[in-house]
Amino acid sequence: MTRPILQVEGLAVELRGEAGTAQILDDVTFHVPAGGSLGIVGESGCGKSTLLRAILGILPKGAETPRGSILFEGRDILSDRAASARGRIGFVPQDPYLSLNPVFRAGDQILEIMRRHAPGSRRDHRAKIVELFRAVQLPDPEAALAKYPHQFSGGQRQRLLIAAALACDPSLLVADEPTTALDVTTQREILSLLRGLAADRGLALLFVTHDFGVLASVCDRVTVLYAGRVAEGGPTRTVLDAPQHPYTRMLLACHPDRATDLAGIPGTVPAATAQPSGCRFHPRCPIVRGSCAESPPQTVTEGDRVVACPFHAEPILA
Amino acid sequence: MPEILGASELVVELGARQGLLRKRAGVRAVDGVDISVATGETFGIVGESGCGKTTLARTLLGLQRESGGVIRLEGTSVSGAASREARSTRSAVQYVHQDPGAALDPWWRVGATLAEGLRIHGVSSAGEQSARIAEMLAAVGLDPAMADRYPHELSGGQQRRIGLARILLLRPKVVILDEPTAGLDLSVQAAVLRLLRDLRDRFGLTYVFISHDLSVVRRVCDRVAVMYLGRIVEQGSTAEIFAAPRHPYTRALLAAAPHLDGRETSPALRGDPPSLRAVPSGCRFHPRCALVQADCATREQTLAPAGPDHIVACHHWRDG
Ligand SMILES: Nc1ncnc2c1ncn2[C@@H]1O[C@H](COP(=O)(O)OP(=O)(O)OP(=O)(O)O)[C@@H](O)[C@H]1O
Ligand SMILES: Nc1ncnc2c1ncn2[C@@H]1O[C@H](COP(=O)(O)OP(=O)(O)OP(=O)(O)O)[C@@H](O)[C@H]1O
Ligand SMILES: [Mg+2]
Ligand SMILES: [Mg+2]
Repeated sequence: MTRPILQVEGLAVELRGEAGTAQILDDVTFHVPAGGSLGIVGESGCGKSTLLRAILGILPKGAETPRGSILFEGRDILSDRAASARGRIGFVPQDPYLSLNPVFRAGDQILEIMRRHAPGSRRDHRAKIVELFRAVQLPDPEAALAKYPHQFSGGQRQRLLIAAALACDPSLLVADEPTTALDVTTQREILSLLRGLAADRGLALLFVTHDFGVLASVCDRVTVLYAGRVAEGGPTRTVLDAPQHPYTRMLLACHPDRATDLAGIPGTVPAATAQPSGCRFHPRCPIVRGSCAESPPQTVTEGDRVVACPFHAEPILA
Repeated sequence: MPEILGASELVVELGARQGLLRKRAGVRAVDGVDISVATGETFGIVGESGCGKTTLARTLLGLQRESGGVIRLEGTSVSGAASREARSTRSAVQYVHQDPGAALDPWWRVGATLAEGLRIHGVSSAGEQSARIAEMLAAVGLDPAMADRYPHELSGGQQRRIGLARILLLRPKVVILDEPTAGLDLSVQAAVLRLLRDLRDRFGLTYVFISHDLSVVRRVCDRVAVMYLGRIVEQGSTAEIFAAPRHPYTRALLAAAPHLDGRETSPALRGDPPSLRAVPSGCRFHPRCALVQADCATREQTLAPAGPDHIVACHHWRDG
């Protein structure tokens, strides 16, 4: 087997705030194979964006130095010496509104990134941007260079950010819900574009998404997070067809195509400053046992799947 | 049910510049739209990114001035007003922004942003403000302690729920929801959709629901309009549209929705996304249409009945 392009081991991230120290991520382990694709799913607030920020080295002020290791192309990018390797990680952020500077033209914002990170002249860079704009299907690619962010629709801004993420020829693309702002026809174009790029350039993908349909069409593997810990991981198809962790089972049952009544999982994700003891899902779990509150659950490994629940075979009674 | 919010032949031009030396023509982001939203219903708007959904919403709200056509609110014409006046006469219509961060002031704790909205709407007692805020935060599934956070201390989904709470606190009659579930996980999404339904029943709200998520639209909307390049190309009851889509664009849209099983049922929509600077002649969809015929490039398409409570702008849908 080839070496994974990204290997995250025992990652823990803590943020200090007014409400105390928040344990956002705890003992998170997964890998992305070279040229492969991994999806990260989980409830809102469970730590997905924080995970990506740790990989990209852009944790907010007040974050403790993360514990554990993040190996990118075999080097630990949490250590200073290898941090520059992050230049080869492309990033598509979650909120297109907050991520573009409203007072600069679209073309100039991307040229600035390329000036710092990519070889070549300004002319080459411009030509490359136009090519990328065409690839992500912005209408009038030439004219788009000179437009300001507010002159694009929400979906167009998102495509702009995808083009920007590709500008420096990354070997790993990290995307935080890259298609939530897009309509389904554009989404499908973007997803096949990303799959095409991945195949042609050997680009690996790490995707945060809430959309299990997107997950199914792009990602070979999936890691499900709950309250900052891995609940379950494995090949996408197997996990979607036969979810094991009670959290994954209940989450998938909320899909509007599957749910009988709109309800959601009872309760909310715990505040990061007040994580429950033992298994963090136990206060909401329908198959909870006395022992679940005592110590973190043992992770069960079966073939290429992992599940952080020893009782996962128990049926959930509605 | 009577109409609460409607528009006829609405046209909105964006980006036009009038100067002494330079004059630039704008683009028509909304180009001849008729809609009529009935009291108490949830009216869905779907369509490709850039087709003018947000522009239509902003114009109905009075944030964007229309270039032509009529807007009606509760039976009275409200069009023609400049923006500040337009917003004050249309305060019964509120908007939940597509970008969750946009409605929150980064320097204010979210509780302060929420209280400010209440204050503007005449709730001045601090006690009542915080009681209503706590109640609404719980209703959108957030810990009331979140009121003390700054926007950057919230996850994307938490920001979205704050945005929803901010508007619902104002007790509007019509709420225009622009992508209200984008970025929400399935569990919170289900909870938000249920909350919207409960609030609608409790306060007699009417929703205009803009969304890319067809599974959600199918689940919550009573009627749906499909937009393409500034125009409505098909409209009908949700059941009709999903069971018997007529317009080739609607069909392509429904076929592109991602499935849990990962299958892709049909080829992707062909051709480039259209630019508003170069609107195709005749039927605007014809360069990308699977059913295109010679006359499509020359004949204007108008909405015509295609079934009970169902209209479509295509001469050839019966051929497909
Ligand atoms: N600067 C901060 N200070 C304190 N808490 C924070 C800060 N930033 C984020 N958090 C908290 O950390 C948790 C994880 O946030 P994160 O943005 O990683 O979630 P997420 O999984 O990406 O959620 P979503 O799907 O809604 O985007 C949340 O509970 C959030 O409120
Ligand atoms: N100020 C402006 N000047 C010129 N064109 C604009 C301006 N604002 C928006 N547009 C264009 O108007 C069209 C409609 O934009 P709008 O935001 O209404 O689309 P939308 O249907 O909401 O798209 P999305 O689903 O991506 O949010 C887009 O093509 C956009 O590029
Ligand atoms: Mg996030
Ligand atoms: Mg929009």
